[in-house]
Amino acid sequence: MAEKMAVVGVYQYLDELLSALDALKREKIGVDTVYSPVPRHEIREALGLPELGTVRFFTLTGAILGIVSGVLLVWYTSMQWRFIVGGKPPIPIYPAVIPAFEFLILLSVLFNVAGLLIKNRMPRWKLPAHFDGRFTRDRFGILVRCPEAQGETVSGILMKTGAEEVRRLDE
Amino acid sequence: MPDQLSSYAAVDRQIIGAMWSPRRTYWYFVALSFVGVLIGAACWGYQIVTGLGVANVTHPPMWGTYLTNFVWWVGIAHSGTLISAILFLFRASWRTTIARSAEAMTVFAVMIAGLFPLIHLGRVWVVYWILPYPNQRNLWPNFQSPLVFDVIAISTYLTVSTLFWYTGMVPDLATIRDRATGLKRRIYGFLSLGWVGSHKYWRHYGTAYLLFAALATPLVISVHSVVSWDFALGIVPGWHSTIFAPYFVAGAIHSGLAMVLALLIPLRRIYGFENLITLRVLEQIAKTIILTGLIVAYAYVVEPFMAWYSGNLVELDQFMWRGYGYYWWEYWTMVMLNAVLPLALFVKTIRTSIPALFIIGILINIGMWFERYVIIIGSQAHEYDPYSWGVYKYPTWVEFGILIGSLSLFFFFFLLFSKFLPTISITEVKESLPVPVRGK
Repeated sequence: MAEKMAVVGVYQYLDELLSALDALKREKIGVDTVYSPVPRHEIREALGLPELGTVRFFTLTGAILGIVSGVLLVWYTSMQWRFIVGGKPPIPIYPAVIPAFEFLILLSVLFNVAGLLIKNRMPRWKLPAHFDGRFTRDRFGILVRCPEAQGETVSGILMKTGAEEVRRLDE
Repeated sequence: MPDQLSSYAAVDRQIIGAMWSPRRTYWYFVALSFVGVLIGAACWGYQIVTGLGVANVTHPPMWGTYLTNFVWWVGIAHSGTLISAILFLFRASWRTTIARSAEAMTVFAVMIAGLFPLIHLGRVWVVYWILPYPNQRNLWPNFQSPLVFDVIAISTYLTVSTLFWYTGMVPDLATIRDRATGLKRRIYGFLSLGWVGSHKYWRHYGTAYLLFAALATPLVISVHSVVSWDFALGIVPGWHSTIFAPYFVAGAIHSGLAMVLALLIPLRRIYGFENLITLRVLEQIAKTIILTGLIVAYAYVVEPFMAWYSGNLVELDQFMWRGYGYYWWEYWTMVMLNAVLPLALFVKTIRTSIPALFIIGILINIGMWFERYVIIIGSQAHEYDPYSWGVYKYPTWVEFGILIGSLSLFFFFFLLFSKFLPTISITEVKESLPVPVRGK
């Protein structure tokens, strides 16, 4: 099997980065990661990704569990410690709505955060070797993982589309 | 777009640079607020050792100023989520430079609000009795009580606000990490959880942040509604009213926005953020205060009207007593500061004058404190039976000390936050700039 390598291109301008993505697509070279200091819909669209990620399914799971657990907590505790007040059902219906709502929000948010961390594989205590600190500041970046034989071609495309720096790393 | 910022690097330089080297005034404020915290802690310690009798709480207004402070602080906590969640969903761009500070304000205000039930509890060490945990006698909190609703709502609000604040900060912490060296780099590296800003990260982050905002919006409305039900579900004249939930929510946002003005006007001066927190931003807050002030004014008119229109003599007597009884000057102070004073913001020269905005912000907060005072203490002091009427005369030095301590703790937390964490969202300010393109 051919040795794999990582090619990283650093860009100052978004339009040049987009033209690089376009050129790589035309050459049928897959892009591993695109870095940017701010979220840009142009990058997502160039990569053909839908707007919303799958974190929302985690949130939905949390919402369902929240309602169920809120209602069950109220009902279970009411059965354990019966607080009989004339004319009122010992297992409350309407008062259960409020704890259920708060639990819905609480568990949705906790699952939302968990989903974000799981999908992004965070926390990550060691940054990847190819990562460049400028990507969180004012530069854009493209990471392509390719066979060593293709490294030259990828570097050429990145340079030609305006990368201010291209680095090649063995993986 | 913020004034005079032309590039992403300039944004980093200004916001992060302000964190590293605040002006000397900053340290004076830190020292002053720390002294206030010590005063508050000493007063609380004295109350624990001596007993709750050192506060002026007595029958019938048993809740005194401690619950007034609680509701006031919860109210202040509301603007953060309004600005960061509701205005985010409405795509109001002026929120960009103030959202982070308002979120921090929310977190600190809820933390401090949460202290007041503990302070008022007297025996603070048995606070865990209110939590739903299995115990040998199968005793559980009564989930049909609005006080238990309140515990759940406030703790949910604190958790959600803190996570919302922190999640929004993660990309900024990574930016600081990548500019820092040595120990700072390690600390910010730890706090940023390994954020790298890849397209996958941004996509999941965008989804999660949007859902956060969508969930925080009903939460913020529910929290102060639940706080209002602490009163509205009690059969007390002046409390037992269906208007309480929207009335409290509007009042909470009113006081929260006023606190944003009172806090951000000095902040922009100390950190030299005049080009980011611009006059236009402050004017937008002022315009929102006009709206919340009008809602509060509407509630002030409707409450006595309904007392008269309902034909309920007890209710009518309560409202007559509010206006002309023992707490008349607190009542009229609240009306003037919360409902009349904000009308001045209709005048452009006033709402574009920074000293005027600062003073109005502080006065509305004083007015909102009096509103809670009048509602909580006034209603308890004058219930159905004249035999059990009785007034809460004034807060003792212990209660004053604890109030000063709570304010100082709030400012102390905020000052620490502004030194160690970015008070303005670096990412959102960058997003508001034109994207760098060569334009070939």
